Amino acid sequence: MRKLTRRELALMLGAGALTGTAHGRLWGRSVQPGVVGLAEARAVLGTPLGPETARLAMAGALAASVGAESGASAAATLFSPKDVVGIKVNCLAGRVLSPRVELVEALVDLIAEAGVDRGRIIVFERSNRELQRAGFTIRESGPSYLCVGINNDYDREPSTSGAIGSCFARMVSTTCSALVSFGVVKDHDLAGVSAGMKNWYGVIHNPNKYHQNGCDPYITDVARHPYIRNKLRLTILDGVNAQCHGGPAFRQGGIFELGMVAASTDPVAADLWAWREIESERAKRGLPTLEAAGRPVRFLATAAKQGLGVDNPEKLLLVSA
Amino acid sequence: MTIDRRKLIVLGTAGAAAALHPPFLRAAAAQSGSSVSGGELPAREASWYKKLDEGRVECELCPQGCKVADMERGMCGNRENRGGTYYTLVHSLACSIHTDPVEKKPLFHVLPGEKAFSFATAGCNVECKFCQNWEISQFRPEQVQAYNLPPDKLVAAALRNGARLTAATYGEPVVFWEYVRDVAIAANAAGVKPTVVTNGFIQEKPLREVLPLLSAIKVDLKSFRDEFYQQQVRGKLEPVLKSLQVIKEIGVWLEVVVLLVPTLNDSAAEVSDLCAWVRAKLGPDVPVHFTRFHPTYRLTDLPPTPVQSLERAWKIGHDAGLNYVYLGNVPGHPGENTTCPGCGGILIRRVGFQVLSNRLVNGSCPDCHRSIPGVWS
Repeated sequence: MRKLTRRELALMLGAGALTGTAHGRLWGRSVQPGVVGLAEARAVLGTPLGPETARLAMAGALAASVGAESGASAAATLFSPKDVVGIKVNCLAGRVLSPRVELVEALVDLIAEAGVDRGRIIVFERSNRELQRAGFTIRESGPSYLCVGINNDYDREPSTSGAIGSCFARMVSTTCSALVSFGVVKDHDLAGVSAGMKNWYGVIHNPNKYHQNGCDPYITDVARHPYIRNKLRLTILDGVNAQCHGGPAFRQGGIFELGMVAASTDPVAADLWAWREIESERAKRGLPTLEAAGRPVRFLATAAKQGLGVDNPEKLLLVSA
Repeated sequence: MTIDRRKLIVLGTAGAAAALHPPFLRAAAAQSGSSVSGGELPAREASWYKKLDEGRVECELCPQGCKVADMERGMCGNRENRGGTYYTLVHSLACSIHTDPVEKKPLFHVLPGEKAFSFATAGCNVECKFCQNWEISQFRPEQVQAYNLPPDKLVAAALRNGARLTAATYGEPVVFWEYVRDVAIAANAAGVKPTVVTNGFIQEKPLREVLPLLSAIKVDLKSFRDEFYQQQVRGKLEPVLKSLQVIKEIGVWLEVVVLLVPTLNDSAAEVSDLCAWVRAKLGPDVPVHFTRFHPTYRLTDLPPTPVQSLERAWKIGHDAGLNYVYLGNVPGHPGENTTCPGCGGILIRRVGFQVLSNRLVNGSCPDCHRSIPGVWS
């Protein structure tokens, strides 16, 4: 693992120094494999970030993830005005451990500043109810952005990807041309980690079928389905407050103040970062590693083998804002 | 208006029921507050699970043995851990209801020609790639239209519709086992015979607790190879074989169905092994139905089962000493008829789900007077 500043990353990218090792193309789009942009953002559990803090953190992480000058210019490299951008938030754990509304809205603002009409930006989760529980307001129309549940609007027929056979939400199969996974940093009792990749379970109709064997290879199989693989532009992880134990639901005893927001065009690297942070906190508390606790994080190696990103800690580049 | 196929099927079954029995659906809707969909699902504490540490639970209903964290569900999709208590979300929540001939189950030795008031909820504990009912079995309860239909109202509806049987079917009754149990209790009290159509993938304790309440049970033995169970079903063979033996031991009327899928489970060797096991462990009088596969769900790259494969299985079954071997999904085939093992005469003549004639007299052959096992009255 290496640590860089955004400016150093930009210089390296400009010099082509990362070509062949990190900077490259994946599934036909530009990505920075292994690069995770990070920005600090601190708040006590259950209290909101101020809008300005949220904006700074989101813009900083986003800019750092691609070596851009600003959050808006970073967004402009990832999204086109013609895109319909779907931001999948993970709200399973309710208000205190879901992506913060203010961070999500900061991302919406940056994408809008990159030229995407706000009416073409959709924040979504499995149901309206889950969104509302997490503090989001349902918006089926209006000038700000759309915020709606999938609400059982799935493809009529299942499609297969590796070991999974699922009806995908039409939100990802049909409506959106670009996708963002907006997760949180938390422990998962079966997969080990639920951050950006596990979040995609929320777009298939039958996620309960795919929790055996640490959700492996199923997490990968969902993420490598063309609906996701070909449209995914960005993974954002809200790590202001994270959970190192007792997930995926909220458990007070497992919460810790990580104080970070992460952004990456590499979904595997983003989850690798989350995994390392969870393990680090567990070590501080004297908890066993996730593997020793019976939930090894197998899915990242499988995802890397399928070419979805970088799971090698030595190739992880953490870029500060 | 546009609707998807899943909704069409649900509406179709409800519509068919309405066309045949309009008083029932109107009454059910009026009495139950109509359909339940989308919102907060009614929850009832599950009967078979244990609490683990840190708010987790372990389901003790089926052999999947799901260990479920708070806010999560088991593989069935219709049981949820809420704060360390495990709930079924489908008790009294029927998503398919219809009055079928009992031959459709198929139960060929149970009140021939009678109606079975059939019901299902969403969810299943396996995932057969060839599932014929995937639009309900592979979905979660909030994803399908459903009706609040408590056991007493379900049985009352059965009686109004002239059904002498209830049948938990279509989806997988194991995953709504509490509902099955309570419907069976209500049915027995009303003189209606409760039956179940299941994959048999259930732990022994819940099976033993409910079996004495049932009049008949049909088990889908999906293959006689564990490899098939793992790859095509995402289950295991051994627990199903155990269930069959428990059912035989308890003495509930049992029929076995084997869906023959071309190239995957229809080899002569496998069918022969299966028939020999049934003969040895369950006895020669357990009916075995070999039925025809049609491509569906995730198995659309195979053709329907050739009739020759079915006929080969039929012969293997007879040669193994099984007295009642049937063929299914081949309407008009002689393999649908019940013949007397004593004299060879045709006792019950069927076409599809229709009984054309029934010559049984007090459960016996009228020609040679051999007793034919089954539930005849």
